[in-house]
Amino acid sequence: MQKITLPERPHWRAHAEEVGFSFADMHGEPYWDETSAYAFSLEQIETDLEDPATELHAMCREAVAEIIGSEALMERLAIPEAHRDLVAESWRNGDPEIYGRFDFAYDGTGPAKLLEYNADTPTSLYESAAFQWQWLEDQLAAGVLAEGSDQFNGIHEALVARFAEVFAPDSDLHFTAVAGNPEDYGTVEAMGWAAREAGMGAHYCDLDKIALSDDGQFLDDQNRRIAVLFKLYPWEDLLRDDYAKQIAGSGCLFLEPAWKALLSNKGLLPVLWQMFEGHPNLLPAFFETDVAGALAGRGAAPADVAEAFGRAEAQLATGHVSKPILSREGASVAIVEAGAVTEQSQNTDYAEHPRILQAYAPLPEFDGFRPVIGAWIIGQSCAGIGLREDRSRITQDLSRFKPHYIKA
Amino acid sequence: MTKRSKRVAIAIVGAAAFTLAGCEEEKVDAAAFPDLQSCRDAAGLNSAFTAQQCETAFAEAEALHVEAAPRYDSLAVCEEQHGEGACGSEATATQGGSGSIFMPLLAGYLIGNMLGGRSGMAASQPLYKTSDGRFTNAARSSTFSTNKGAAKLNTSQFTRPASTVGKTPMTRATATSRGGFGKAGAGRTGFGG
Repeated sequence: MQKITLPERPHWRAHAEEVGFSFADMHGEPYWDETSAYAFSLEQIETDLEDPATELHAMCREAVAEIIGSEALMERLAIPEAHRDLVAESWRNGDPEIYGRFDFAYDGTGPAKLLEYNADTPTSLYESAAFQWQWLEDQLAAGVLAEGSDQFNGIHEALVARFAEVFAPDSDLHFTAVAGNPEDYGTVEAMGWAAREAGMGAHYCDLDKIALSDDGQFLDDQNRRIAVLFKLYPWEDLLRDDYAKQIAGSGCLFLEPAWKALLSNKGLLPVLWQMFEGHPNLLPAFFETDVAGALAGRGAAPADVAEAFGRAEAQLATGHVSKPILSREGASVAIVEAGAVTEQSQNTDYAEHPRILQAYAPLPEFDGFRPVIGAWIIGQSCAGIGLREDRSRITQDLSRFKPHYIKA
Repeated sequence: MTKRSKRVAIAIVGAAAFTLAGCEEEKVDAAAFPDLQSCRDAAGLNSAFTAQQCETAFAEAEALHVEAAPRYDSLAVCEEQHGEGACGSEATATQGGSGSIFMPLLAGYLIGNMLGGRSGMAASQPLYKTSDGRFTNAARSSTFSTNKGAAKLNTSQFTRPASTVGKTPMTRATATSRGGFGKAGAGRTGFGG
């Protein structure tokens, strides 16, 4: 894994504008940045990222079954009591998953370490699946990249195949997002194109335009009944909205399904560690309330995690990251080294949520930037990657999307 | 064997994408007939439909009629909507129907050339009289001036009407509220991660 400086495509900004990639610059900073790219060997891609990501998704499915069977875990993951049946039912019914993104710390050697699973509302789908792909094709055509260079990016085709696998031809699917956010919308539209290509009818409706019919079904902005709803809006918010109690009886299939609320939740990380302690792609993780006292030398961890904590204590004391169980773009995340906070997110959204502690796996540094690798799961297999890098040790909303390629 | 897609969708063009991407309604050849015989009679002349298609479509419209005709809880209300003499009890129209629920009589049917049976689409639609002498479909979402003739119609005219059997008479997809999603996340700017 290397960071290689490359000439930018001369007209990429005009091209971005032309194809509607309006958030290529954000907050006055470049978001799409092709002044350099990350280069991988095929071995790194397949052995260190693709296979582990697919395996981790299977492990996550085991974790879902575990959490569903435990009221105590549902409680720790802050699933509202009134909606635990909805979450459990979606799992028992086998409601299908479409996509998710693992975030990995990886430097090209050794096992990639799972930081978190964006299993419910991952964004940057368009950049990963489409704009990155176009970059590779253009740079190959221009001779900037050697003939035979490739990219781990079968995301679009995998999505098309997934829709075709899950839904009958000509099924009508609705897509929704909160209005006015081009970045979220980009992901929704990329998803909509894939569904269209799979032969589905795809219809878009702003989230706040969704209505409820007098017989309890959700309707779009034209009062058409919604049978399947892809929502780029997280379950933790859906379950706290006015219509939350209408979901179960609506007959509507939500995508991602409600059981994804258990995975897009940092509470997953201690559950995974408890189930698969020592797995090479996992970092030791614990619920903060279990181990904060013990880590500070006050009292002991509860019996069920005491041994595992004992084995991880030295590593956690050296460095750990404190994360709210629900948090996006690094909000309210803090890095603690040798007992002192050494880095803290300025964004304090989600600060009121319960927290987990995870052993600190520093992101590698390349020319002053720290990349995090997003590994896309489509259906149940890894189908591609996208990288974002940040100057900060906590990847936040000023991170840049970087293209990658596989060396010829 | 490469590790990347052979093609992608490169454009983000806004909500219009969903219509541009093929959701824009296609038009299909359609015709309305007052009864099966007039459809058969037209077959082979200048009609777009064969006698066989007439049979199939008429059977389908009759099934939809049973499933999805508007229901009323009194004959008076039904006749108010569909005109005098245009209604009967559910018991006379369908086996096992209720004697105290009323529905309009079948006054014709609309047949569409749907080519391959899109799910959720019925290739035919029952037609009912309206109180002003025109014709409407089961969902009462469209009104036609006649029950005889041919035209190009949007495919949405053939959307399978919601079943009203076993539901409160006259249930339709009427919105009772809107805007019940999105408040929990109000104030944040992005919802992805």
